[in-house]
Amino acid sequence: MIINLSLMDFNPIWLTLKLAGITTVLLLAVGLPVAWWLSKGRSIFKIILEAIITMPLVLPPSVLGFYLLLAFSPQHGVGKWLQQVFNIQFVFSFQGLVLASVIYSMPFMIGPIKSALQQLPVSLSQASYSMGKSKWQTFLYVLLPNIKPSLLTAIVLTFAHTLGEFGVVLMIGGNIPNVTRVASIAVYDSVEQMDYHSANVYSLILFAITFIMVVGVFVFNKYQLKSPLE
Amino acid sequence: MKRILLIITGCLLFVDVVFAQNLKIAVAANLQPVIKALQKDFKQKTGMDVEPIVGSSGNLSAQIRNGAPYDIFLSADMSFPETLFKEGFSQKKPVIYAQGSLIICSNQNIGFENWERLLLTNRIKKIAIANPKIAPYGKAAEETLKDKGILDDVQSKVVYGESISQVNTYITSGVVEVGFTTQALVKDPANKTPLFWQVIDPKTYAPIAQGMIILKHANGNADAGKFYQYILSPAAKAIFKEYGYRVQ
Repeated sequence: MIINLSLMDFNPIWLTLKLAGITTVLLLAVGLPVAWWLSKGRSIFKIILEAIITMPLVLPPSVLGFYLLLAFSPQHGVGKWLQQVFNIQFVFSFQGLVLASVIYSMPFMIGPIKSALQQLPVSLSQASYSMGKSKWQTFLYVLLPNIKPSLLTAIVLTFAHTLGEFGVVLMIGGNIPNVTRVASIAVYDSVEQMDYHSANVYSLILFAITFIMVVGVFVFNKYQLKSPLE
Repeated sequence: MKRILLIITGCLLFVDVVFAQNLKIAVAANLQPVIKALQKDFKQKTGMDVEPIVGSSGNLSAQIRNGAPYDIFLSADMSFPETLFKEGFSQKKPVIYAQGSLIICSNQNIGFENWERLLLTNRIKKIAIANPKIAPYGKAAEETLKDKGILDDVQSKVVYGESISQVNTYITSGVVEVGFTTQALVKDPANKTPLFWQVIDPKTYAPIAQGMIILKHANGNADAGKFYQYILSPAAKAIFKEYGYRVQ
């Protein structure tokens, strides 16, 4: 197959990278404190919250899409309030996709960080506290540097998983060029239009990006595991 | 282990035998409401079950091209079935079974007397149409907007459904203020949402001639021929008419 790139519209790729980037940064900000909090102790409330965070991993994306579509309809409830008070519409908008992706990819950020924090020996933070460091200082300078591989895994998986988001976007996106027409939708759309050439180019790009990222994580983690002690 | 495998294979074969008898009909999304009525009537007349697979015409013809086991394809236009015919997926030329009619529709009573003007006001934030590249009703909607000279002005409000069914969801759930869809939506007894609508002047868009084609998969299947004849019969035409289609 001859691949002709001059006629291609690469906006869906840029849009996808933008969506994945913003989602990852937001999730990192939200996910770190939540994962830290979840890693300490157990309570019914924590278990339920963790279950809810993990749900998007097993629920079909269409379930999430369906509820988001209803929740953000500008005619009633939350959607109406958002529209009237802030003039924000979450369906058919880029913000909406960011919000959906944050929910959708949350387990990929929180899961690895939480388990890594749980596996750190308690003596690490106790030593830090006894030397007079605060909770946050301990978290930032003692705990986080010790879970670097998991942190990287979480970031990369979140990014990659958002690249692969399809079902939710199909339901609440509206396929608007440069706004909600992300690469996965563009692939679907091109196939429907029998434009297999475009579908192929988009798919190859997605394939390459995810492959490089996942291989990168494996390589880095292997290096990390060996280097400090050997 | 071998025995278990054997049992599983047996079950699968059995399932295949049970379901293989049903005709598989690829149905354009705009027919979603009417196909249920046709199915029921056909069952009453012949005792035969058919299995509709609903999707956008573009998607369905891509599936057919890639070997989907459908017997008959009821498209939303003529070009998809004609292309399939030219590419050898059928031995019989497509025929027109109905002409669709486009409406503008909302779940709010916003008054459609002067809808071209209304679409330009900020009361309308989003307008749903089906993807014009794959859904003939979307193409017709775009033609109407172009004919009224407002396509460029409303472009930023347009959202695209992947088929007319998704446009219907957007309208009935109220995530868009208005949408362009098929008249069959408002005639659908399954729809519980009160809708407000107006028929679009058919002069403003190219006629939506909907074509049917009998596919190679139906070769040697007399039942497929029966359903094909039924769709062109007066009984089926009466049902199409009831749902807002024009028939000859």
